[in-house]
Amino acid sequence: MNKLWENIFKFRQKETDEIDNILIQIPIFQDLNNRELRTIKRILHQREYKKNEVIFNQGDVGLGMYIIVKGTVEIVCGTAKHMLAELNDGDFFGELALLDDSPRSATAVSKTPCKMLCFFKPELLDLINRDPGLGSKILFKLAWTIGERLKSTNEQVSELSHLSHRTQLDS
Amino acid sequence: MKIYRNSGSNMVKITIFFIAFIILISFLAVISDIVKLMIISALLAYVLDPLASFLESRGMSRTSATSAIFLFIFAIACISSVVFLPVLYEEIKALQVGFNSEKAGLMVSDFENFLVNNLAFLGVKDLNLLSRIQGAMARVGSWIFDHFLDAASVITGMVLIPFIVFFLMKDGRRFKQAFVSIMPNRYFEFTLYLFYKLNIQIGNYLRGQLLDAIIVGIFSIFALWLLGVKYFFIIGIFAGLANIIPYFGPITGATIAIIVSILQAGSFNMVLYIIVAFTLIRLIDDILVQPIVVAKSVHMHPLIVLLAVLIGGKLFGILGMLLSVPVVGFIKVVVHESIINYRRYGEA
Repeated sequence: MNKLWENIFKFRQKETDEIDNILIQIPIFQDLNNRELRTIKRILHQREYKKNEVIFNQGDVGLGMYIIVKGTVEIVCGTAKHMLAELNDGDFFGELALLDDSPRSATAVSKTPCKMLCFFKPELLDLINRDPGLGSKILFKLAWTIGERLKSTNEQVSELSHLSHRTQLDS
Repeated sequence: MKIYRNSGSNMVKITIFFIAFIILISFLAVISDIVKLMIISALLAYVLDPLASFLESRGMSRTSATSAIFLFIFAIACISSVVFLPVLYEEIKALQVGFNSEKAGLMVSDFENFLVNNLAFLGVKDLNLLSRIQGAMARVGSWIFDHFLDAASVITGMVLIPFIVFFLMKDGRRFKQAFVSIMPNRYFEFTLYLFYKLNIQIGNYLRGQLLDAIIVGIFSIFALWLLGVKYFFIIGIFAGLANIIPYFGPITGATIAIIVSILQAGSFNMVLYIIVAFTLIRLIDDILVQPIVVAKSVHMHPLIVLLAVLIGGKLFGILGMLLSVPVVGFIKVVVHESIINYRRYGEA
């Protein structure tokens, strides 16, 4: 009997460790101490998706970000389902929805069975109300993450325009 | 990635949904007393929630914050019961017995004679106004006594409502998370979005209306006390609570105060003063209080609000009238957001 309880306990411990390890990899949660991480874990939603299941559709109302604990997710865009990115364990997407109310700009589909953590705007707003210190830490890191993504996008645009300019010159 | 739907299986789903819905409504109707307690508790927990969040922001845990609020309310209730409850009890008891003022009786009889003599061509005769008014006032007193002050409902209310409110406040987030966790993946984010929108619109409406009712109640008690109207305390509380019901509430409060003053003084001397006092309270409410405390409420057409209050009153009495606007607001938000989302889903 003890063995059974030990196994159940270990299984839960393993699951918690897995979530902890994923969370500390996410830039938004990187500067948080153990107490703050426990608070965040309490407000996250855990979901499981089957293979080829739509997580959200382009145009849906967006409420927050998804963190991949296990599995692969494909981000596709437009009616032609043009692939934008393939994301794996520890990656996250949809974080812009934490800040604005615009609809989802792409569709997310699970390529393999996926385990996800979801962090949504109402919980973030509630957190800002009841723990302003932790809320501002997250907002600061969120702004930093979006800034980094903007820099990376700018570099890609710059490279593309440079490439297109060179192609025009060559032809 | 387009989803094709089978219309046959959809019909089965819709039928099952409707059967389940009817069973649920029937079940709720059977346990309507418990549902009433749950609704009142949920509304109280909802209204008190920002206070608990504020205390949490000051470093308290959720349990400590909830306990502190309950201790504060308990202290206020104890003080109120010592100071105000005897007054309230006496006023309701007197209201239940009715009015026996001879002067008031004579005045009502004169008024009745005037109506019978001048409106005989309309078929007005044997109105029995005095006994009708006395009967109506006694019924109001008995209703308040039966619904609020009888031993069984006081004990049930005083024990069960705080108990439910405490756990809803303490574990409300966990209940919400548990509810969302059982939603299918496809509707999960949308369900959370609905909660989010409802919280913004209905939450602000309820909190605003409650604050508004307290302010109007205090103003009414003070004004009626200044004018020397008997039962000023109970009428003031009633006027404040009635103020939550759009359109009908403010008029009802003033009308009851006028009737009491006529029966008390046996003349119409106080009527004008009461009308002026309630008009001033209404103006202060409309110009100062409403824009500040009920600013971000559910935006609905006045006709819909009026119909909602009438239907709520017809189906569920005073509780229906009080809850009709938030319930219609809830339905409006759910339908509106569902349609928008469905259209977007269709476009995607």
